[in-house]
Amino acid sequence: MARMIRPATIQESEKRFARLLALPGMIVLILLVAGPLAYMLFNSFLSKTLAAPIPPHFAWFRNYADLFSDGRFWNAFFHSMIIMAVGIPVQSVLGLIIALLLNKKFPGSKIVIALFLIPVMITPVVAGFEWKIILDNRFGPLNYLLGLLNIQPIAWLAKPVSAMISILFMDTWQWTPFVTIVLLAGLAAIPKQIYEASSVDGSSASETLWRMTMPLLRPMFMLVVLLRIIFIFKIFDPVQILTAGGPGMATETLSVLTYTIGFKNFNVGMSAAIAVIQLVIITIIAKIFIAKVMNRTEGRAK
Amino acid sequence: MSGTVLTQADIARRKRIRFLFSTLRFALIFISLAIFLFPVYWIAIGAFKGEGEFYHYPPIFWPNHFSFENFGRALTVFGGTQGLVNSLIVAVTNTALVTVFGVLLAYSMGRFKVGGDNLSFFVLSLLFAPPVIAAMPLFLVFKTLRMLDTHQVLFLSYVLINMPFAVWVMKGFFEDIPKGIENAALLDGYSRFQTFLKYVLPLAVPGIVVTALFVFIFSWNEFLFALIFTRSKVQTLPIVLAGMTGGHQIPWGEISALSLIAITPGIILTLFFQKYLVRGLTFGAVKG
Repeated sequence: MARMIRPATIQESEKRFARLLALPGMIVLILLVAGPLAYMLFNSFLSKTLAAPIPPHFAWFRNYADLFSDGRFWNAFFHSMIIMAVGIPVQSVLGLIIALLLNKKFPGSKIVIALFLIPVMITPVVAGFEWKIILDNRFGPLNYLLGLLNIQPIAWLAKPVSAMISILFMDTWQWTPFVTIVLLAGLAAIPKQIYEASSVDGSSASETLWRMTMPLLRPMFMLVVLLRIIFIFKIFDPVQILTAGGPGMATETLSVLTYTIGFKNFNVGMSAAIAVIQLVIITIIAKIFIAKVMNRTEGRAK
Repeated sequence: MSGTVLTQADIARRKRIRFLFSTLRFALIFISLAIFLFPVYWIAIGAFKGEGEFYHYPPIFWPNHFSFENFGRALTVFGGTQGLVNSLIVAVTNTALVTVFGVLLAYSMGRFKVGGDNLSFFVLSLLFAPPVIAAMPLFLVFKTLRMLDTHQVLFLSYVLINMPFAVWVMKGFFEDIPKGIENAALLDGYSRFQTFLKYVLPLAVPGIVVTALFVFIFSWNEFLFALIFTRSKVQTLPIVLAGMTGGHQIPWGEISALSLIAITPGIILTLFFQKYLVRGLTFGAVKG
C-alpha cells in the first residue's frame, strides 16, 4: 500500500475533504442566519409595523434613537442587569457552599449530586408554573410556612419589588446547581498534594480555602459568570409564565421586551433595532469568552 | 507533629469534633437538597391531588389518596396527548437533523480547522445569542413561505437554536480523539471518508449520543419559537401547558400532571448522564 504522495497533495485533498464535510451544515446555518440577519438589519432602519396597514418607509436611525430615549427599554435593561448583579453573586456563594459540602465523597454522593441538578434541566415553562404555585398568596406553601413564623401573607407577584424577588428566587433555584456542578469539577481538578502540603504547614481549614482553593477556582468562577450573563440575556420562558413582565412592567427583561415589541405591538422596525443592540452586546461577550475561557482550555489540550 | 504526644482524651475530643462536623455537613446537605427539590416535589404531589385539594388551606403536603384523574383530564380535555405527540415528533426530527449536519461540521471544524477562528467565533456567537432576536425576521420569512403552524417550521427553526450547541460540543469530542488513529488508517489505504466512518465515528459515539440527548431535551423544552411560529394545529407540550391558564379558574391539578410528564425526560437525562452534564451545560468548556 506504499504510495508516493507529495505532502502538498495530501494537504490539498485533506482541505477539500474537510470543506465537503462542512458544506451541508454551513448551508443550513447560512440560510437560517445570514438571510434573516440581513433582513433584520434592514428592518431596523425602517419604520415598519404589522399592526396597521401603513407601508414601511426608510427611517434611518429613528428606531435606535427612539429606543435609547424610551424609558421602557432602559427599564428592561435595568431588570436584566438586576438579575445579573444580584442573582450571579448569590448563586455563586450558594453554589460554592453546596460544592464544598459535596466535594468529599460519601456513599450515595453521586445520586445526591444528580438530584441537586434536576432544576437545571427542567422544562423552563414548568419552572415558571412551579414558582407560580409555590408563591400563590392564598394557597401557596411558601406563605403558609411564613405564616407559621407569624409573617403576614405576601402577594408575591402583585407588587413590583416582591415580583422581582420572585424572579430572583426562581432563577437562583434553577441555576445554583449549575454553579455547584462547575465548581465541583474545578475542585476535583485540584491536586490532592496541595491540600496535604497546606495541612503539613499547619494551615487552618479557612486559610486553605481562601489561600489555596479559591485562587485555583478563579477560572471556574470566570466561566460561571460569563455563562450566566449569557443565560440571563436569554431568559424568557419562566419569566413569561411567572409574571409575563408584570405587574405593569416591573419584571420586564430584555428578552420579554423584545417579544412584546415584536409580537404584541407588532412593531417590526423597533423589534429589529432592539435585536441588533442585543446582538452587538452578545458578540462582545463571545469575544471575551474566547479570550478568557477557550484559549485557556485549548492551551491545556496541547 | 514531633514531640507532641496525644492523650486518650485528646483523641476522643478530636473524634467528637469530627463527628459533630460531619453531622452538621450532612444536615446542611439534606436541608439544601430538600429546598432545591421542593418545587419539583410540589408539582409531582400536585399531579395526584384530588379535586379541591389544591385550593385547600392549609396546603396539603401529602394527599390522603392518590388520584390519577388529573392525568386523564390533562391528556384528553386539555389536549395533552396531542401536545405529547407533537413534542415527540418535533424533538426527534430536530435531533436527527441537528445530529447529522452537526457531526459533519463538528468533525470538519475540530479536526481540520475548517473556517478557522472566524467560523468558531460565528458558531459561538450564535450559541450565545438570545433566540428571541431571531424570532421576528424568521416569522416574516416563514409567513411569506406559508409555513406557520406546521411541524416543518419547528424542525427548521430549532436547527438554529440547537445546531450551534451540537457543533460546538461535538467539536470538542472530536478534538479528544487522538489523530494517530486516523493517520494509521490512512496509511493502511483507507480513504478519508472510510477512515471517518470506520475509525473516528465509533470512537465519537458516546459524545454524539450525549449531545443528541441534550438537543432532544432542548427541543422538548422549547417554548418561545413554538409560541410564535405555531397556532392551533401544531401545539407542543409547553404551549399546551401555557394555554391551560386561559380559563377563569386555573386547573392546577391538570397543569401539575402534564408538567410532571413534561419534565420526566429531563430528569432521566440528569440522573443517568450526570457525568456528561457539566460538559454539556458549559458548552464543552469543562471536560468534567
